[in-house]
Parts: sequence; C-alpha cells; structure tokens
Amino acid sequence: MSARPEVLLTMPARPEGVGVVRQALAGMADALDFEAPVLADMKMAVTEACTNVVVHAYDETDGGVLEVEMRATEEGLTIVVRDHGTGIQPRPARSEPAALGLGLPLIAALSDAFELRGSAGAGTEVTMTFAYTRDADPANANPVTGTVGIDGRWDLDAPSPES
Amino acid sequence: MEANPIVLDDTAGDVVVVVVEGEHDIYTAPTLRERLDEALDRGGGIVVDLTAATFVDSSVLGALLDARRRALEAGQGFVVCVGETVEPGVQRILDITGLVPVLPVLRQRDEAIEAARANGSGT
Repeated sequence: MSARPEVLLTMPARPEGVGVVRQALAGMADALDFEAPVLADMKMAVTEACTNVVVHAYDETDGGVLEVEMRATEEGLTIVVRDHGTGIQPRPARSEPAALGLGLPLIAALSDAFELRGSAGAGTEVTMTFAYTRDADPANANPVTGTVGIDGRWDLDAPSPES
Repeated sequence: MEANPIVLDDTAGDVVVVVVEGEHDIYTAPTLRERLDEALDRGGGIVVDLTAATFVDSSVLGALLDARRRALEAGQGFVVCVGETVEPGVQRILDITGLVPVLPVLRQRDEAIEAARANGSGT
C-alpha cells in the first residue's frame, strides 16, 4: 500500500456525533480488512473515548470540539480522540445521570495499546491502537476489574462477581 | 421512522418487556432511561430484550444497572435477555464487565419473563 488511509473528523462534542464517528470507523476498518471481533472492540473503545469528551471535557453551556484522527500504520489502526477542554474528570454531570465510570477501563481492555495524555486546561488526548492480527485478547492483559457499587458507579476494587 | 427503536411490549401481562433494537449509546441512553422508567411504573417484572440490539456502550449499561437497582428496591423482577446469536457489540461488553450474572442476562425472552416473574417479590 503506497498511501495509507488517514481520516480526521472534527465536530461539536455532542451525543449525536458519537454514532457518526462509529460509522466512519466502520468504513475505515472495513477497507483495512479487520475481523469482526476487532472491529467490535474498536467501535466500543472509540465510543467510550468520544463519550468521555461529550460528558466531561466541556462546560455544558459553552460546548466545544471533538476531534478524531484515524491513521493506518504498518502494525494496525491508530485512533486518537482529542478535546480542547478541561480534561477528563469524574465531575458530577448536571442534566444527565452520573456516568458509570467504566470508560477508561473498557478502553484499556479492548485496545492493543492505549495512551492517555492531558494537562489542566490543555485538553485530553486518548490514543488507541488496534493490531491487524492479534496474538492474544487484550482484555486478558488488562481485564476490567470490580463491579457496580451501591451508588451506581463502577467500583474497580470490588470483588468481581465470578470470584 | 425510528432507526434504533426502544418500545414496551406488555403482551406478557404482569411482566413488561423493553425491546431494544439497533445501536445505542449516550445519544439514545436518555430515551432508554425514559422507557425503563415507564416499565418500572407499571409495577410488575421487567425484561430488557437486547436480541435485536447490535451495539450497546457503558451509557446503556449505566441505565440498565440503575433500573435494576430500582426494580430490586421495589421488589420487581429484572432480567436482561440477548437471544441465541448475540452480536459482538453486545456480548463483548457484558462478558468483560462480568455483568452476565449480575444483571442477570439470559438467552430467550420466554425464560427471561419467567425469571423476572420469579425473582420479584410480587404482591
């Protein structure tokens, strides 16, 4: 392949945009011949990263921008989800119910490599890579621990239901 | 024409089935919460049927877990069913979060309705 596909999406950080990102991702992954289970993991991880931007990055009245970059590399597909807000913080939501708090654990479990970068006031960037061929399920290396707590949020330290 | 419908089916009588089809995320989670509220208000058991759902994220799990907690507090049965051939976009998140025994998740709608009937305290 001489020119590897690259896509940059920029849109208002609103709930209706997350499905649009999934559609674009599905098209890109299809062109790259990813297998269905990896595509499913990709869609889930990218959805969670975009949801974090929509819910946590910006002040509810002012809003802001959601940026998604998809780059095909030799090893796989790298997806960067970026905002220019105050950073992913578990602050209480105002008009919507409190988030479950499962987003980052899911991203870690579903991606073959994952990096979170950000600083106060400079926005947050989540970089996820999905390999064309997997030697092992990433969820085994980075399992989602815990279960839902009494307060309705995820408790990563709670004993898992199976144990 | 709704692309990703969420409708209530009360043909089972004392157990209302919330039928969820298509892709669901933070955009449709408020609608799911409304339908679950309506189902809870009926006072009987609740089954959430994800058989025709192709994708659910943690916003959906949050809505299901909230409804489950409220159902249990009110003595109403709460069960999720996914059908025999579950979409990867639904099965995967249930598997890696370990929520199958918690929600709980069964296969067929009929067995889910029976279970919701049985695990409510009833009146």
